[in-house]
Amino acid sequence: MNYQYRKAPNPTEFSVFTGLGTAALDLKTLARDVPCQAACPAKTDVPAYIALISRGENEAAYRVNQEDNVFPGVLGRVCTKPCEAACRYAWTNAEGPVQICHLKRSAADRLKTPPTPLPPWFQETGRRVAVVGGGPAGLTAARELRRYGHRVTLFEREDHLGGMMVDGIPSFRLPLPTIEQEIKLITDSGIDVRLGSDVDRSGLAKLLESYDAVCVATGTMKAKSLDLPGIDGAEVIPGLRFMKQYNAGVVKSMKGDVVVIGGGFTAVDCARSCARAARRIVGADDRVTIAYRRTEHHMAAEMDELEEIRLENIDVRTLVTPVKAKVENGSLRSVVFQRNVMGDDGSDAGKPRIVPIPGSEFELPCSHLIVAIGQDAETEILPEGIALADRQQTAEPKLFVTGDFLTGSLDVIHAVADGKSVADEIDRFLVGEVRKKFHVSIELIDNDGETGRFRDHDLQEAPAMPLRSIVERAVGNAEVEKGLSDEATRVASSRCYLCNHKFEINQDSCIHCDWCIDVAPRDCIKKVSRLFVDEVGSPREYVQTDVAAEATYIYIDSDNCIRCGKCLRVCPTGAITMRKMERTACCSTKNAAGEVRWERLTARLDERKAARGRT
Amino acid sequence: MQRRLQFLRRSEDEDIKDAGLVLDFDEMARKGVMSKEEKNVAKWYGIYASRQPGNHMARIVIPGGVLTSTQARNIAKVSEKFAMGKLNITTRTSIQLHWLKLGSLADIMRALADEGSTTRHGCGDVTRNVTACPLAETCRYRRFNVLPFAQRTARRLGDSHDLDNLPRKFKISYSGCGAGCAQPFINCVGAIAVGGREGSEEPRGFKVVIGGGMGATPFIAKELFSFVPAERMVDLTRAIALLFRDHGDRFNRSKARLKYVVERYGIERCREIVIENLRAEGVSTEGFVVEGFREADASYPDRPLAEEDTVGTDGSVTLRIMVPKGEMGHRQLKRVAELSEIYGDQRVRTTNRQNLELHGIPKENAEEVKREIRKIGLGTTGFYGLRDIVPCVGTTYCPKAVSETRALYDLLQPLVAQPKYAGIEKAAVINITGCPNSCSPYRIADIGFRGSRIREELGSTEGYEVTLGGTPERLGEVFGEFKRDDCPGVVEKILDTFIALRSEAESLSDCVLRVGAEPFKKAVYE
Repeated sequence: MNYQYRKAPNPTEFSVFTGLGTAALDLKTLARDVPCQAACPAKTDVPAYIALISRGENEAAYRVNQEDNVFPGVLGRVCTKPCEAACRYAWTNAEGPVQICHLKRSAADRLKTPPTPLPPWFQETGRRVAVVGGGPAGLTAARELRRYGHRVTLFEREDHLGGMMVDGIPSFRLPLPTIEQEIKLITDSGIDVRLGSDVDRSGLAKLLESYDAVCVATGTMKAKSLDLPGIDGAEVIPGLRFMKQYNAGVVKSMKGDVVVIGGGFTAVDCARSCARAARRIVGADDRVTIAYRRTEHHMAAEMDELEEIRLENIDVRTLVTPVKAKVENGSLRSVVFQRNVMGDDGSDAGKPRIVPIPGSEFELPCSHLIVAIGQDAETEILPEGIALADRQQTAEPKLFVTGDFLTGSLDVIHAVADGKSVADEIDRFLVGEVRKKFHVSIELIDNDGETGRFRDHDLQEAPAMPLRSIVERAVGNAEVEKGLSDEATRVASSRCYLCNHKFEINQDSCIHCDWCIDVAPRDCIKKVSRLFVDEVGSPREYVQTDVAAEATYIYIDSDNCIRCGKCLRVCPTGAITMRKMERTACCSTKNAAGEVRWERLTARLDERKAARGRT
Repeated sequence: MQRRLQFLRRSEDEDIKDAGLVLDFDEMARKGVMSKEEKNVAKWYGIYASRQPGNHMARIVIPGGVLTSTQARNIAKVSEKFAMGKLNITTRTSIQLHWLKLGSLADIMRALADEGSTTRHGCGDVTRNVTACPLAETCRYRRFNVLPFAQRTARRLGDSHDLDNLPRKFKISYSGCGAGCAQPFINCVGAIAVGGREGSEEPRGFKVVIGGGMGATPFIAKELFSFVPAERMVDLTRAIALLFRDHGDRFNRSKARLKYVVERYGIERCREIVIENLRAEGVSTEGFVVEGFREADASYPDRPLAEEDTVGTDGSVTLRIMVPKGEMGHRQLKRVAELSEIYGDQRVRTTNRQNLELHGIPKENAEEVKREIRKIGLGTTGFYGLRDIVPCVGTTYCPKAVSETRALYDLLQPLVAQPKYAGIEKAAVINITGCPNSCSPYRIADIGFRGSRIREELGSTEGYEVTLGGTPERLGEVFGEFKRDDCPGVVEKILDTFIALRSEAESLSDCVLRVGAEPFKKAVYE
């Protein structure tokens, strides 16, 4: 008799049960299941480090961040948090996302042993690379190139490294020691640093001659100008210049009203710095006003920071555009603004359109006008005939560009991501092959589905970041955000769903008893009649049913899974497994037959370490 | 409902139990609803939710499976009034009433209590109905009558309120000899009478095995003591219950049963804890033999229950009553109770194959009583054989079930009743369970069926995992998975192959043990 029944396929979201997943499906599953990591430009393994923090393993958590995003202490304070916007809490919980950024800082602030530079991945290649620009993108590129085994020289115009991290961000948001410590971790890995080296076009030409590759990461340092009738520009202070002076301690105090034009991070930082310089935050009469042409929702700052801005007695005027300035006796007296209204449709370079309101002009008195409407790259450095395109490698094969210099002003996390990717490109250019690639390491966790999470963890209130009082903020540049307490760190870290754990039902073992559905803490397991997968086999849609005969599959919807493991524990047939996935850097090896195999880079490093121990 | 965040590593059931195990069924009747927590605690009162929304099941506890005829009549009356006239006998010798409405539950408990019956501890994380071999009192192979021990154990543990909140259910059975008709090896505690036959000077005692159980992961119990003096057997059950209470997993209910404690700790460590528990309660362990106790006469038949019309040690006949699917009507039970009064010992006994027994029937009345039984639609032959198929209630009532076990029962009955199988009728038993909980212990039957759904190209259909070669001491091996309508064909092939391969009078499971499953697989799949 033929009792081999025809069945619908047994879907699985990994190409292998355990081991290294090298298929497109594996990367897709990781990206879909771990949205924070997918959203992070630097692909930081967020659930991995949050799990470590919740266990008090701050050194290990820091190491994960150091590996992925280079500047954990910095980004734990000033990251723009694309991960939090993507966090699954955003659509499954009323308490807001897991405070990923704050947690990163919690680990960085609690290190008992100082961090050390990361080890190289490959042996010395003897190739020489020049990196121009010591900001986050340049520093990251330098570190990664060094790990590839290349000799790296880093040229920086200023007398210090750090770029915008040091010059552009006020120390009450990002203290200097934090930046310096993390820069040292990079330079200590064996990078030749040349401070005070202003590389211009001719200098770059020389570097191109003497190095195997050159990477320009000089950022955007040229302020965009604002043509405002009534002034010739001398009265206008570019935002970045103001921040640089403020951070250098040149701006001691200010007198008179200040207007800051712009809605980006620099505008907000300028205003907050002015408020301190003017002692405005404790109620001095001089006004500090941010004027922005769109609404608060279109500003770079988050609502939390805007709230702090108001507490610091900074006025935020939105939907206003400056139309002219008034100067009396050689001194700036006021700026005239026109009101705007949001346009119904259309967009202006990716932002909503605004429409000026005729006759709505009004005058805002001011003694200082800071314009922070963005910066451009100093492209004059590029050799003649070489223009910026959308690639990191330029028309001159040895010349690469990255970071803000290529993309325009973004933020630290994007600069880090760019620095990592340009290092990969430069290595491929120098060596002629892809030596490092990311695959997905898949590990079976055979512990009855215990992640340590219960439904209770989801229902906790997100702890608030403790802030320095307004009175304290007025004195010096003490950091406003004090960092989460131990207890708050414990609560915040235990909220994480640990999305890197994948619960999956082997449909060949499932008997449709529905016991998992009965114990499910939310609507995470469903009877499904049809499951639609995309071209790589990743489930995209399903048709749910309540009728046993129509149920082809019992399906765990990872989007709603809270990783509590109850389904696995109750499953009578062992059909449910829990596997942990991790984005893993791999290198390729070829066997005698010329077949390429991928192995984990960390495994290779461990082997090397063990070999050193033996000798 | 509001909740208190506790982050305790324990199951939600433990929270509920901690809040109290007492319910007011009259109040629930007034409210008209039972909360999730109340549903959980209702199990301690023997009340379960039924598959049919709004309906409940009550499980009447019958220690040792012995009802007085008055109790049987009363249960029939309660069934008629509240349970649509139906009642079901279980494999733990209890009786279940279905179709009960919330508003009637308190009245049902009161009505049962009128004649000394109770549903208390019918379910829940407590010592469940303590069972004994169906023929405990009169079996000619027994060492001694174990029924009083079962009843005393039920009383002692039921009255021990410090054992009201165990990690999971706790099951105890007493067998009169090594044949193990009370299935000692699949109970948490299996007590097997050794020594002390009437007329012998050998001391009476029990071999005690613990940590057995069916469910999703079946375990065969391990020997705790090879001899325990009979007078301290009940004390020992309490000491084992304390071991379970204190060391069972209270987080993962799927791994909470005593069998997992034994697996985790090992039998030696369990024995140490049990001995500590005994000493703490002032019970001597003198005379306990850990291993190596040998009876003077260790003989017993392989399947005593397969014998028809057993004549007891008192010279009277034990008449067994086949209850198809374990379900009967209230009139049938009432008539059986009457027959026990007219001809028997005024007792009605329930068996772990979901049948009934009448004891003490004078030989001369046996045929007449059988006729009376057949008149009410119940059977008098085929016990512990191919036709004595034991299905759980399946999707007919049970919310946990996956398959309609009774439908398979109906498909198999005509098949196994064929004359060609007359010669092997007593050589194999079939158990059908609707889900992995194994209320009908399918893994210890010669042929076992466990309900499942089989995935199709679109949707799914009812099916069964089939196991082959189980005995009360040995688990059957998984044979294959088949759609329900294919199962009769599979059974026919297995039985035909068995006839062809059978050596002398061996059972199907012994045949499988001897020749392996391959010849059977070949016959089925080719």
